[in-house]
Amino acid sequence: MSSASTTRPNGVALFILPSALLFALFFFLPIGLMALMSALTGNPVVMPKVAFTTRHYARIVNDPYYLEVIWTTIRIGLVTTLVALAIGYPLAHWMARIKSRTGHALLLMAVLAPMLTGIVVRTFAWMTLLSDKGVINQTLMSLGLIAQPLKLMYTETGIVIGLVHIYVPFMVLTLTGVIGRIDERLEQAAENLGASPLRAFLEVTLPLSLPGILAGSLLVFALAISAYVTPILLGGFQIMTLPILIYQQISANFNVGFAAALGIVLLVISLMLVIAYNRALGLVSGQRELQ
Amino acid sequence: MSASIEIAGVSKVYDGGIRAVDAVAMDIRQGEFFSLLGPSGCGKTTTLRMIAGFETPSAGAIRVDGADITHVPAHKRDMGMVFQNYALFPHRTVAENVAFGLRMRGLDKASIAANVKAALAMVELSGLEDRRPAQLSGGQQQRVALARAIVIAPRVLLCDEPLGALDKKLRQQMQFELKQLQKKLGLTLVFVTHDQEEALAMSDRIAVMNGGRVEQVGTPSEIYNQPTTRFVADFIGDTNIFRGERIGPNLSVGKDLILALPPAETQGTGILSVALRPEKIRLSPRIDVAIAAGSSAHGTVENTNFLGGAVLYRITLDSGHRVLVQQPNAGTGRLFVPGDAVTLEWTPADLVVLKD
Repeated sequence: MSSASTTRPNGVALFILPSALLFALFFFLPIGLMALMSALTGNPVVMPKVAFTTRHYARIVNDPYYLEVIWTTIRIGLVTTLVALAIGYPLAHWMARIKSRTGHALLLMAVLAPMLTGIVVRTFAWMTLLSDKGVINQTLMSLGLIAQPLKLMYTETGIVIGLVHIYVPFMVLTLTGVIGRIDERLEQAAENLGASPLRAFLEVTLPLSLPGILAGSLLVFALAISAYVTPILLGGFQIMTLPILIYQQISANFNVGFAAALGIVLLVISLMLVIAYNRALGLVSGQRELQ
Repeated sequence: MSASIEIAGVSKVYDGGIRAVDAVAMDIRQGEFFSLLGPSGCGKTTTLRMIAGFETPSAGAIRVDGADITHVPAHKRDMGMVFQNYALFPHRTVAENVAFGLRMRGLDKASIAANVKAALAMVELSGLEDRRPAQLSGGQQQRVALARAIVIAPRVLLCDEPLGALDKKLRQQMQFELKQLQKKLGLTLVFVTHDQEEALAMSDRIAVMNGGRVEQVGTPSEIYNQPTTRFVADFIGDTNIFRGERIGPNLSVGKDLILALPPAETQGTGILSVALRPEKIRLSPRIDVAIAAGSSAHGTVENTNFLGGAVLYRITLDSGHRVLVQQPNAGTGRLFVPGDAVTLEWTPADLVVLKD
């Protein structure tokens, strides 16, 4: 090895060092501590005599209530992701293909503007819309379309509406990047060969945008299952999700070990998704061995 | 099978008033290799895209075998197209790419397989069916694109600078193969290129375009030997263009240079441009006798450019004009070197009068 090739990585390593330290200090250390706490009988700082235990995990697995909470969290995450995809894809396709620069700028602003407002503010806005005496119910009732107010607040539907609104920009931005990189001439080639515009989309653009669909879905799902403010405000503690449960265990029950175990469960769900994502991506992009 | 195309006064104006194509009219005959030639931005690709149906003309009509297809969507036009970057589907294999058009036409599996096999054999790609486009060389991708376009037996084959990305050797080989294939299948082929040599070598007829307009339509030899406009004369090959005032049967180009006009051009007055190809000028060592006014001139060699089969001289005339002269390299005798005094002679009939 020449001296140049040995000194060069060292120079690069020096630049990586700050971020590596930051990562270790604020990412691996807390998660490591959380994993440790989830397997201890108590807080070692307060109680000197602690032992390793699996009782926190056993409690989660054995109590149907906690499994129900986990399932609710995943269900809200899945529905939010699917709705965000259904709304986000056409918008992203439009943004990626629009010719006019002004049009693109306006669309981008429309997508980004809500993100400039805080989540709490936007969630309160949804409360004024969704509640029994809210804008939607009042309007529908005055039009005589419904007799009783629709139950929108304190339901999963309400939570999903709020979450979709908050996380759809992440889906749109991820998808726009991927769709924008697909050569428009591929669709034209398909049309030239006799595919209708819809068929050309289904045969060419859709499969080629799968990496974007997967990435956007992963992002939205991870954000949705870890959302805290929106499920609390729109669910009013009547819909219990993992983040709310974790908060309760810490603030009300002071059961840090159990909260840590729930946190690890949330983390494992997300990690399994990332692994599944990578697998799926490998399959769709067809990375066969070169002959 | 193959069709004729009539482009009748077609214009394309984009938002913001940019006139990409301006009242273009041409007839492309059945089974003809027809090139659209011009510099970038001349409207040749836009014209091709309107034939393919990817752009809608702002005015005018496009007819195929007499039937108006101006507003027929692209997927119902039954035309094959080879794109500049090939536009192969990256997520599909070579065989799947070629099969795409047949699948859209609802053919059964067996005949799709047979047609794909035949098309790949025709472009000499048998055995690469299961590769993906990314695993192929540029030349191979080009052949896949060609196979994908001809397998559907299109009425017209459209090619948008299909050879632009290939290196010179491969390019010449593909030019030859494409031409051969076109003749063999009797295809009507519309070929867009900015490379005049390519257009001259391959085409039955060429439309030279500039600024959204057609400058001249003709066979390669017509385009080269009888350019009608200054742009065509300048764009195709090397040429000497003289601009001057017509005085009787002569053209007075600046001071001290008189050119005799061709016999057919004895009428009229005013400002005129003429073109004279470098190879139409004969060169000899200067002879200090009176020379024929109007068809000869004295000059000094400024620059000698040895091309192999020919020698290109840059010569400054005594009148101050600069002229390119090309002489065949017979392999005998010595070349003129910079500083040599020479006499140039030409035949007035070789001057081509140009429209501005």
